[in-house]
Amino acid sequence: MAAKDSPLKQFEIDPISNIELGGYNISFTNSSFAMLITVLVITLFLTLTVNTRSIIPSRMQLISELMYNFIAQLLSDTVGDNGKRYFPFVFSLFMFVLIGNMVGMIPYQFTFTSHIIVTFALAAVVFIGVTILGFINHGIKFFTFFYIPGVPFYMHPLLIPIEVISYLSRPISLSVRLFANMLAGHTLLKVFAGFVVSMPFFTGVFPLAFIVALTGLEILIAFLQAYVFAILTCLYINDAYHLH
Amino acid sequence: MPQLNPEFFVSQLFWLAVFFTFLFVFLWRVSLPRIATVLEKRQNKIDENLSSAKELQEQAMEIEKKINDQINKAKLETNEKIKETINALQEDVSSQISSLDKDLEKKVSDAEKEILKSKDDQMKNINNEIVNITKLTVGKITDIELSDNELNKVIETQKGSYN
Repeated sequence: MAAKDSPLKQFEIDPISNIELGGYNISFTNSSFAMLITVLVITLFLTLTVNTRSIIPSRMQLISELMYNFIAQLLSDTVGDNGKRYFPFVFSLFMFVLIGNMVGMIPYQFTFTSHIIVTFALAAVVFIGVTILGFINHGIKFFTFFYIPGVPFYMHPLLIPIEVISYLSRPISLSVRLFANMLAGHTLLKVFAGFVVSMPFFTGVFPLAFIVALTGLEILIAFLQAYVFAILTCLYINDAYHLH
Repeated sequence: MPQLNPEFFVSQLFWLAVFFTFLFVFLWRVSLPRIATVLEKRQNKIDENLSSAKELQEQAMEIEKKINDQINKAKLETNEKIKETINALQEDVSSQISSLDKDLEKKVSDAEKEILKSKDDQMKNINNEIVNITKLTVGKITDIELSDNELNKVIETQKGSYN
């Protein structure tokens, strides 16, 4: 298969304008452009729909309010009253991932959440933030997080390393989950799109029908992954407050 | 796999930081407070309406109670009035009946008296007629002139035997 037909070609980054700062290449790329679109969509939508601030909402205002309440509910269910302070962050994270995934569903549009470096950066922010939060709340006692009470003492040499490893792998699992889902979904779509073209006569309609169904599934996954990212962030914040 | 090509890692991280920070600050400072205000405003409005509805309900219940009280009072008053009226009517009727009775009694006794009087008068007239007839009859038959006193005496004695 030629390189230009590779299903992974869609993930290639093309610089739109080359910028260099302090010896680093910070070119504005198609990935950056997708982020820009995402941020514009979110900010404009959430600002313009609530512009009238009407007590009886319009349909669009209702969507914004539903999103607001969805994350507010999620945060209060998992963290409780302490969670209110992190609402803007969790909401931004959820919207950024959700709309980033959705923008990626537009044909020929780049999906920045399919890049491990992006998802890992987001997950690292969550991980580092939560760890700092845990130390602020509990000081040195935060290390008791790795100690599971009610377990026979001879199990601790085994369990504590497991707990530490599972804690340290959180940013990896968080970022790889999102990245892998996006990568797999888009690759699959591209592979079947290739079948539509290469299959003889009218048999190409079968992979086409499959693509239509898969697109629906991908939109569901786009939402689901954003939700999972947000809810795991909430759970981690909760852990930083209530150790075990 | 383009994802593992470190050529654009710095660029991606840089723009991610720029856009995500912008998004976070914008939502935190502008969008979310707006939505929160709207939701709060709505909640306040709902609470206000609920409390005013409760107040109105209480007022309505109070008014209903008042109305019921007044209806009960009016019923009691009406019953009283009806009783009073019935009593007054009964008194009136009985007094009228008794006055009618008296009237009738008086009329009856008056009539009796009149009847007795006329009877007496008739009886006196009868005496005179008897005297006249007797005088005429005795004069025609015997040519004896009888005096009225003598005849009256005889009649009185005879009447006594009839009575």
